[in-house]
Amino acid sequence: MKILVCIKQVMESGSPIKIDPSGKWLQYSQSTRFEINKYDEYAIEEAIQIKENFKDTQIDVITVGPSHASDVLRRALGMGADEAIHILDEAKGYRPPAITAEWITAFVKKETYDLIFTGIMSDDEMNAQTGVMISQILDWPCATAVIKEEISNDRKKMRIEREIEGGAKDIFDITLPCVLTIQTGINTPRYPSLSKVLRAKKKTLQIIPAKTLKTAEQIPSLETIQFPEKTTRGIVLKGSSQDKAKALLNILASKTLV
Amino acid sequence: MTKKITIIADHDGKNIKPITWELFAFAKKIQAHEKADIYFFIIGENTKELAQDISIHSGCKTYAMDVLGTNNYHGQIYKKILIPFLTKNPADYILVPHTTSGMDYAPALSIALKGSCITAVEGIHNKDNVLHFVRAMFGRKIQADLSNKNLGASSPQVLTLQAGSFKPFKLDQNDIKNINIIHEAFDCLEKEMIYKGCQPSPSKGSNLAKAEVIVSGGRGIEEEENYKYIEMLADIFPRSATGASRPICDYGWAKYSQQVGATGTIISPKLYIACGISGATQHLEGIRDSQFIVAINSDPDAPIFQVADICIIEDLTDFIPIIVETAKKKRPTN
Ligand SMILES: Cc1cc2nc3c(=O)[nH]c(=O)nc-3n(C[C@H](O)[C@H](O)[C@H](O)COP(=O)(O)OP(=O)(O)OC[C@H]3O[C@@H](n4cnc5c(N)ncnc54)[C@H](O)[C@@H]3O)c2cc1C
Ligand SMILES: Nc1ncnc2c1ncn2[C@@H]1O[C@H](COP(=O)(O)O)[C@@H](O)[C@H]1O
Repeated sequence: MKILVCIKQVMESGSPIKIDPSGKWLQYSQSTRFEINKYDEYAIEEAIQIKENFKDTQIDVITVGPSHASDVLRRALGMGADEAIHILDEAKGYRPPAITAEWITAFVKKETYDLIFTGIMSDDEMNAQTGVMISQILDWPCATAVIKEEISNDRKKMRIEREIEGGAKDIFDITLPCVLTIQTGINTPRYPSLSKVLRAKKKTLQIIPAKTLKTAEQIPSLETIQFPEKTTRGIVLKGSSQDKAKALLNILASKTLV
Repeated sequence: MTKKITIIADHDGKNIKPITWELFAFAKKIQAHEKADIYFFIIGENTKELAQDISIHSGCKTYAMDVLGTNNYHGQIYKKILIPFLTKNPADYILVPHTTSGMDYAPALSIALKGSCITAVEGIHNKDNVLHFVRAMFGRKIQADLSNKNLGASSPQVLTLQAGSFKPFKLDQNDIKNINIIHEAFDCLEKEMIYKGCQPSPSKGSNLAKAEVIVSGGRGIEEEENYKYIEMLADIFPRSATGASRPICDYGWAKYSQQVGATGTIISPKLYIACGISGATQHLEGIRDSQFIVAINSDPDAPIFQVADICIIEDLTDFIPIIVETAKKKRPTN
């Protein structure tokens, strides 16, 4: 079994946000920290759990991004992935998912994967598109928001549960090869192990310069980014913590809520 | 030239869902920018009456497609029906709800039809004669304007609409003269994905639906044992319940039946108190019907403050004990 997990590096949530003078993307500084997209961590973990069941499994991880995005590949190797591919693109700014999907599938078409995992959504751009696009380009079946999967013994299909509104799950049998977009809660991602992290440090990553790949043309353009307008709807309580507590209780009492 | 807008309706087999009328409102806003005809499209096992309902309340031509195996949303079938249909009947705009089903097929439509895709649209405006679609990024801390100005003239724009962004719009009149539907039945051979049933939601019967006051904790509680602060705060209210954001349930610090949001429970309490919750889109989807929202968050820029009635910028582990103390002092002793 060969599995490809698509992983993205995103800005750490909680990092201070500043807009670039171009008005088209964020301005990163020395203190900006990056991390692996949270959903992708669950996708890697799910692949590793499959490998624990089907010992002859190989797990590859792939990312599209600038040089520092290689950190997430090393993290994945530290968790237990076998090989890592970096589609190197130093361009800064919004990269429409159609481009990412086209580049990843250009690589996939030269290989023989049984399964491709992506996260359901990236925490920074929040598109929820890439996995579905990959499946459509490859003409593979796809299930999104997967929170449970089990591969049949003959490895020809899998039973999956996909989450829908309200938290109910629709159950499907899906044939391999297929693409699954992974939702949180499917497992508990492990921490990278020290021995694997050391090995990951020495591992050579396969690097593919993005400029050698064809780029999707039918894509939206990012015009501007801005801070959301502050609504005047709410009251911001001021003063000491005690003042705020009293004010809150008074307001709630006046509305007979407490 | 008159453009074409196709709306993919959302329904539960019995009723048209409100998001369909929000999509209609969205289409009207596009119409205000350029001349366009609006069409609806509905897939299900039994769509005739649903299509009539849409047609009556929109005055628009509605394609009703009965396909076996679509009583529950089925992604592969949707794609196999929609792609050839939209190839034969090209649209300039394809409007899809940003639901767990819309998200599942919309990006595939854009690839198959050689169009572009913008998801979770929340607003639209015209700037220098270019339509800008507004959507949230970076956990709602940033708003982005995207356009399709570089798109080929014959390429469709696939747009998914975030629920709650536009006021639902439908015609009041109940004029059956409006009915204009094309009703057809289709067979769809689907072997790659087979529906095997449904697992009910863990929040079914959860006490969140009935509670008058709900206090929820998010990742801001940082440690499992800090969930006690949420319980402490809930205790000062009669008829209260404790809830949580999704990650807290994923970590096992609260039960899934306590999850508030799009994939948890949609709540409508008199009072909602969100502690250490950032205010992600899917969380907001679950709290929109709350009558009064209090947010406690240490980050003054937390998006939850954009929807809160009372904003309290504090560390919850310090502040909650102070509220509880103050409340105890105020309460008449006997
Ligand atoms: C398809 C889909 C469905 C989803 N459904 C749901 C859903 O139903 N419900 C849901 O909740 N999420 C859902 N999510 C996840 C959602 O996108 C967010 O990831 C999640 O809501 C974030 O949870 P949070 O606010 O607790 O965490 P974070 O976004 O990490 O926010 C933590 C907040 O705590 C604040 N904080 C930190 N320390 C303190 C402190 N000491 N005191 C006070 N404040 C502090 C921070 O400033 C921050 O604002 C869904 C996602 C997807 C893709
Ligand atoms: N730059 C990228 N490199 C690798 N995988 C990506 C990249 N962007 C998105 N993905 C994958 O696609 C998923 C959904 O991302 P998005 O469509 O941007 O919301 C992510 O969880 C990743 O698995």
